[in-house]
Order: sequence, then C-alpha cells, then structure tokens
Amino acid sequence: MIEAQNITKYFDTIKAIDQMSVQIQSGSVFGLVGTNGAGKSTFLRILSGILKPDCGQVLVDGQTIYENMGVKSRFFFISDDQYFFSNSTPKEMRNYYTKIYPKFDKVRFDHILKSFDLKADRKINTFSKGMKKQLAIICALAAKTDYIFCDETFDGLDPVMRQAVKSLFAAEIAERGLTPIIASHNLRELEDICDHVGLLHKGGVLLSRQLDDMKLGVHKIQAVFPVPYNKEDFTGMEIVTLEHRGSLHTFVVRGEKDLITTKIQEKNPIFLEVLPLTLEEIFISETEVVGYDIKKLIV
Amino acid sequence: MITIDYRDRKPIYLQIIDNVETLAAKGILPADSQLPTVRNLAVELAINPNTIQRAYGELEKRGIIYTIPGRGSFIAKTPQELMDKKIHLFYEELKNKIQDARSMNIPLEDILARCREYFDLGPIKEGETI
Repeated sequence: MIEAQNITKYFDTIKAIDQMSVQIQSGSVFGLVGTNGAGKSTFLRILSGILKPDCGQVLVDGQTIYENMGVKSRFFFISDDQYFFSNSTPKEMRNYYTKIYPKFDKVRFDHILKSFDLKADRKINTFSKGMKKQLAIICALAAKTDYIFCDETFDGLDPVMRQAVKSLFAAEIAERGLTPIIASHNLRELEDICDHVGLLHKGGVLLSRQLDDMKLGVHKIQAVFPVPYNKEDFTGMEIVTLEHRGSLHTFVVRGEKDLITTKIQEKNPIFLEVLPLTLEEIFISETEVVGYDIKKLIV
Repeated sequence: MITIDYRDRKPIYLQIIDNVETLAAKGILPADSQLPTVRNLAVELAINPNTIQRAYGELEKRGIIYTIPGRGSFIAKTPQELMDKKIHLFYEELKNKIQDARSMNIPLEDILARCREYFDLGPIKEGETI
C-alpha cells in the first residue's frame, strides 16, 4: 500500500502540492487525473523519491522513500520524458536495469522487445518518441516491480500499441498483483484500465474513489418540465449542477438512480432521461464546483 | 465472445454481466460451459482484471455462474430462468418506450401497426445487434 500523509511541496513560492493525503491499495489500478498544474507529476516524483516533500510523508508499505534504496527497487517510474544514457542501446539499458532491479527478467525483456519489433542494438537516440515510450514500458514490465508509476505513458503510443500495453499490464495485474499508478488526461482510456481514481486540483485531492461507485453514484439527467424549475425546487436531492436550455433542464445529481428518478417524476416531466456519467463528465462537473469552469475560460 | 462497448456509459463490469447473461439466456453459453479465465479475458479485452473479477463475483452472487477453485467459472442457471428475467426486463423497457410515444402523441393504432410490421420481419439476422 502507498500512503501519502499530509504532504506539501513548494517550488520557491509556488505551492505545487497542498496538504495532500491519499491511500493507494495494492492490487488496484489507480488513475491519477487532474487539471493542468494540479500536481500530478510532482506527486509521482515525490512517490518515486526524486523530490522530498516539505511537510508530511509518503510511505510505500510502511517505509519512507526519499534516499531509501531498498524501497526504490520495488517500483519503476516511467516519467513523462524518459531518460536513457546518451548513445546507449536497449541492450545496454537492459544490462543497467538488471543491476538495479533484483527481479529484472532479461528473457521477458528480450521477448517483448522482439514482439514490439524494436532492435536491441540500435541507438536509442535514433528512436522515435513513441518507440522511446515503448522501450521505457518494456523496461518497467521486465523489472517485475510491485508498483509502476506512469506519467502520461499512453500518450504518444499508437492505438494498437496502447491496446497491447494495456493487455500486458492486465496480465501482470492478474498474475502477480502489479499495482500501476497512471497519471493521464485521457480519461476515456483510464476508464478501461483503472478501478480507482483520484481527482487532483490545485495540489489537493478533490475525490478518490472506486471508479464504478463513482460512475453509479453520479447521474446526468435531462428532463423537460412544463414550467421551469430551479435548484431550490428539488428537496432531498444533492444537485451538483443544473443548467437550463429553453425548457430542457440538465442536472448532475449525486445518488442512486431509482431515488433520483422518483424525485424528478414528482414534478411531472414531459421527458426524462437518466444516464450514468462518463469519467470526463465527472471531471468537468467536480472541478466546476470548485471554480474551474469552462465558461470562465472561453469567454 | 464477451465484448465491451467503450462508448457505452454503463460501467464495464455491468456490461460484462449483461453480456454473460444474454449469452446464457440465448443458449450460446449452455449450462456447465466454461467462461474464460479472469486473466485471459482481461488480456483479450485489455481491461483491468479486478473489473472482471467483480463481474464474475456478481454473476456468482446472482446464481448465474458457479466457480470451482482451481478450475474456473461455469454457467450455472438453466437458460429458461434467465429468459424469464430477460422477458420481464423487455416489458419494462417497452413500457417506458410506450410512455415516450404517448408523450409525443403517437396514436396507439400506429404503434400497433409498426409492431406487426417489425414482428413480420422475422428473427434478427447475423451481424445485427439486439
């Protein structure tokens, strides 16, 4: 389990992480989503012991990470811009990582490298951006660590490669309980692979929940009523947002589908539709509540 | 055989449950036939194995599948019981649709005429979805 307890991180006067606390259970796939500059990458860099938090602490299975070699061999960090030694080849990187990670599986590395059609002796600096990403993923999978931290890892991969990588991750999760932590803006993609999602905004965690509960706990309702209604007209319902477009009311409401339907039907709608939210819509409605509103940005 | 629709708003685990129920109800997966293992299905669909585990757990709770430790999961219920459930759900859906039609002032005679027309089209052909 990974546990962040009240961590704060400043860069000069900029507060990148603000008293953040979050728990990540082993065996789950944790998706880290957030607004731009919310602190996703900073959080991952603290998790991997590159940065030291100014306050609070992060524990991996009960141990602190910063300058702790033993713990560091238990995770692999695929950063947004991967680092390879200058003039090195995949084979040299493999030999290097074998020394760092005690469980590094050379056979597996060679096997995936071959099936991804990457040459073991080609200089990495002649690789395309996507190929470098692939190589970093192969290193991570072959390292057989308990955790893999991915910072925007799926971006820059083609659709076939994305499916292939997700399948490889799925196999590792099923076989040995790998715990990936994936930061991404591609919410559509996180929906397939994550079971737990943490939503970051301005250095703090807005919410952290099971994805399926999240999706079934918030609903989007489109309804047409003979007369217009406001938020206050609906009691006993937790309305996140309500918008009017002519007589069409669009709600985002927290709660069970049946309960919401009954409540709305009391107002005799001419038309009523209740839909679960996509992760993208949850993101938009939750950040809107804390003042991150698209309408403010485009006007 | 089990597929998921990425654009569907329903959570993936519910899609898997519906899928298995439909396949069992139609007799495509007969009683005692084996389901893919959690690992294989996760790799095939490129989704989280925990999601599949959750779907299988729920299916087991509903009595649609049973699990033999070390051997896998198998279809349990006789299709008839599932079919009854499906028919019930269908009528629920039909009820909603007819209420919709009513709010659009579509006359009952027109609806019935369409029903006959569609019924006479015969069974769904391969490649079409339900």
